[in-house]
Amino acid sequence: MRIKRSLQATALVAAAVVLGLLTVQGTYALWSASASAAPGTVASASFDVALSAVPSGQATNMTLADGTTSANLAITPTATLTPGTSVYGGVLVTNNTNAGGSFDTVITASQGTVTNVASGSLRSYVSFYAKTATSSAECSTIAGYAPIGSAGLSSPAVGKGGSTVFCFQASLSSNAPSSVKGQAVNISLQLTARQLCGVPGGC
Amino acid sequence: MKNSTLIKGTAAIAVGAALLLGGGGTLANWNAEASATPGTIVSGDLNVENKVAGVWTDGLGKDITAQIDAGTYLVVPGDKLTFKQELAVTLSGNKMAAEITTDGIDETSGFLANNVSVSEPVLTVGTAEIKNPLTPTGSTQTVTATITFDFLASTTERDSVNASYDFKDVAFKLTQVNSTGDGLS
Repeated sequence: MRIKRSLQATALVAAAVVLGLLTVQGTYALWSASASAAPGTVASASFDVALSAVPSGQATNMTLADGTTSANLAITPTATLTPGTSVYGGVLVTNNTNAGGSFDTVITASQGTVTNVASGSLRSYVSFYAKTATSSAECSTIAGYAPIGSAGLSSPAVGKGGSTVFCFQASLSSNAPSSVKGQAVNISLQLTARQLCGVPGGC
Repeated sequence: MKNSTLIKGTAAIAVGAALLLGGGGTLANWNAEASATPGTIVSGDLNVENKVAGVWTDGLGKDITAQIDAGTYLVVPGDKLTFKQELAVTLSGNKMAAEITTDGIDETSGFLANNVSVSEPVLTVGTAEIKNPLTPTGSTQTVTATITFDFLASTTERDSVNASYDFKDVAFKLTQVNSTGDGLS
């Protein structure tokens, strides 16, 4: 019994010595010095696009304050549509990013859909055209309007703080019957703003 | 009997004292001196310092450090920024060798992880990637730490707008190392 205890004690001491030696190796002390760099903080820009209806002047951001919901902007022409005539409207689109470097965007209007209000039949007699312009004043001039193709209508590059105008024209056929008098249509389309690859080496 | 012991003791003391006195009288013998001059031992040096501020550049190589510091350079998808920090490394000592390492980046990021690619600090001397251990060259060595921040062009919708990426402090450590057979303990 005494021998067993002695062996246990010896083993314990041996283990302690080995542990001690390992610990000594872990605290191996040589010179060292440290320095640090403080790169700071990199922040990203906003991607805000402002919309302003022509001629009403109703304004909104393309994306609402929650950061995800798309805005709806109503463009209501002031004139009344009569057979053989057109009404005009538009939207002023402004690139309001606060990007540090270049940030060009392109805005695309989708083809759009024309739907009757209530159970009307006016839609069949309404034609819809669009064009891009540099000022809203151009919207009331007939030159340049064309149907929007399936690929949509894209603006030229719109840089930081820049803007572009989408003009829309709705025309009522001169053959429209009197039965459509007093009816209305909704024309809806989607505007999409997309960052162009304006960052050198970034795309 | 007691008296005999006392007498013997006293006599022994007297003989010892006489021997001591006699020896002191014969102290003078030849002797000589010499001296060695070990000289002065001078220690070497090991240090790493951040002597100049780091520099941020954009994808065109334009210095945007002031704007980054002021928080006015705001990145957009496609932006690729580079941060370079020069470190002055001093090494001297006949058997000096040292490794320089970094603890990497311990950031706080508000970006979505799949929108950014940030490199670990890459250490170079000149244009060549560093080869540890460094040894003395007789002058201060410049080690450059480079970090790239890539706001990926594959970012979609409005992901990671108005986000921030705080690099905090990026630490570098220069540690002396031993090599086999260098005689250092």
